[in-house]
Amino acid sequence: MRRTLTLAMVVVGIALAAVGYVSSAGWSAQTLADADPAFVAAPLLFVVGVVLMVGAAVVYELLPDRE
Amino acid sequence: MTSHDTRTRQLPQGVGRLTGPWWAFIAIASAVLLFGVYAYWRQASGGLGETALADTGTMGGATWGLYVVMVEYFIGVSFAGVAIAALARVFHIADLKPVTRIAELLTVGSLLVGLAAVLIDLGHPARGLWHLLLYARPQSAFFATFTLVGVGLLLASLVYLFLGGRRDAAIMATYESRLNWYHRWWASGYTDTGPERERHMRAMFWLSIGIVPLLVVSLSTEGLVFGLQVGRPGWFGSMQAPDFLVLAAASGVANLIVLAAMVRRALGKAGEAVESAFPWLGRILLAAALAGLYFMVVEMVSLLYATPADERLIAEALLTGVYAPITWLSFGLMLIGLAILTRLAAKRAWHVGPLVLASVLVSISAFAERYLTVVPSQTHGMLLPYEIGAYFPNWLEIAVGAGLFALGALLIGLFIKVFPAIPMTDEEEVSAHA
Repeated sequence: MRRTLTLAMVVVGIALAAVGYVSSAGWSAQTLADADPAFVAAPLLFVVGVVLMVGAAVVYELLPDRE
Repeated sequence: MTSHDTRTRQLPQGVGRLTGPWWAFIAIASAVLLFGVYAYWRQASGGLGETALADTGTMGGATWGLYVVMVEYFIGVSFAGVAIAALARVFHIADLKPVTRIAELLTVGSLLVGLAAVLIDLGHPARGLWHLLLYARPQSAFFATFTLVGVGLLLASLVYLFLGGRRDAAIMATYESRLNWYHRWWASGYTDTGPERERHMRAMFWLSIGIVPLLVVSLSTEGLVFGLQVGRPGWFGSMQAPDFLVLAAASGVANLIVLAAMVRRALGKAGEAVESAFPWLGRILLAAALAGLYFMVVEMVSLLYATPADERLIAEALLTGVYAPITWLSFGLMLIGLAILTRLAAKRAWHVGPLVLASVLVSISAFAERYLTVVPSQTHGMLLPYEIGAYFPNWLEIAVGAGLFALGALLIGLFIKVFPAIPMTDEEEVSAHA
């Protein structure tokens, strides 16, 4: 359970950070005005992803053993 | 470890014992902090116009001044703390273990102070934070400052400090004291069983493995804040990121040595444990300072050798003009610091006094070097035909800056009275269960 949850947090964290990063960049924008994030709060998604990845270490240590 | 095991002896390492010198330290630091808060209140009320900051070019000033210098300096200092703690854990360097908590504390403290300096530099800090969450773009190096340094690195460092301290917190919780609730909270159910220890070691190992690349990437972006600015002579260049890292390592280790020496003195007999770390830290500082000096010399040679006119203007300001005193002070202090370190290395005797002196010199040199990175390119580095500008921080900025230093000192001063600054030994852990 603990390992699964930790792994899930790391994987979801990486996914959110990747989506947040790509969505924040507006890579396809041709002008500066269009270069804003693809959706509002995309950078927040990146931050949440980073928080999940780091938080995984706390979950791994703090969750008690099954027995 | 249950509540039945509680001991009635005094808490180790002076935790919970508030002495006269400690109160004096807290009083002075609080007074400086309060004066800084007053200065910031003046700035917040009257706007950044209360400071000496002014637009580059049109107003002949610098928009990034002392606050940004402090951001760069403190975020740089944060580098060494967790990096050394991680190295000690990954490579099992027993001699460095006594300073790991001080190192982690230094990282957390300097990150908090550095990030506070970022907010202070903003006209509307709350709006800045809110807009960053909504609209920040990774094309800007500030994106990484906000996300990787401000969130990732700070959070990872706090987690590192928290998890790394759980075992000691569990031991502290076996003592009867007013801080018992706090130690129990920190221990968060840790009982020091075999599987728990193993899991702890595994978590700390992977956290160490993850945190070092995070440190390097996030701190490199601090250098890229300057290195990616094409339109600013003196800043643009690929050397800014490695230069930032090297100086970060030197200033961080220097601060760690000073802090470790202060802890050693404050804790008396218990503080002697940190002495095993001084030769290691001295050698690391020697290597980092040598690399820092190398970057300084390379930068000077590059500025002098067939540079474009815009760059040459900055070179003259740095070497013979208005910034020359700071340049040569920085260079001289680094040289003296290196001379002391080389002598200590040659004699293989890392006496604390000379080591602390060398560390202070290297640290001041690094601060001056940060100033020279941030300011001259704004006052003298213009591609448009503006007059040469000038900037020197006014009393308000200096007071806020001093307040930030005091804030860092207070955080560390308060911490060492509620938690052991030096990780406890295995013997202490065994006795906790006796």
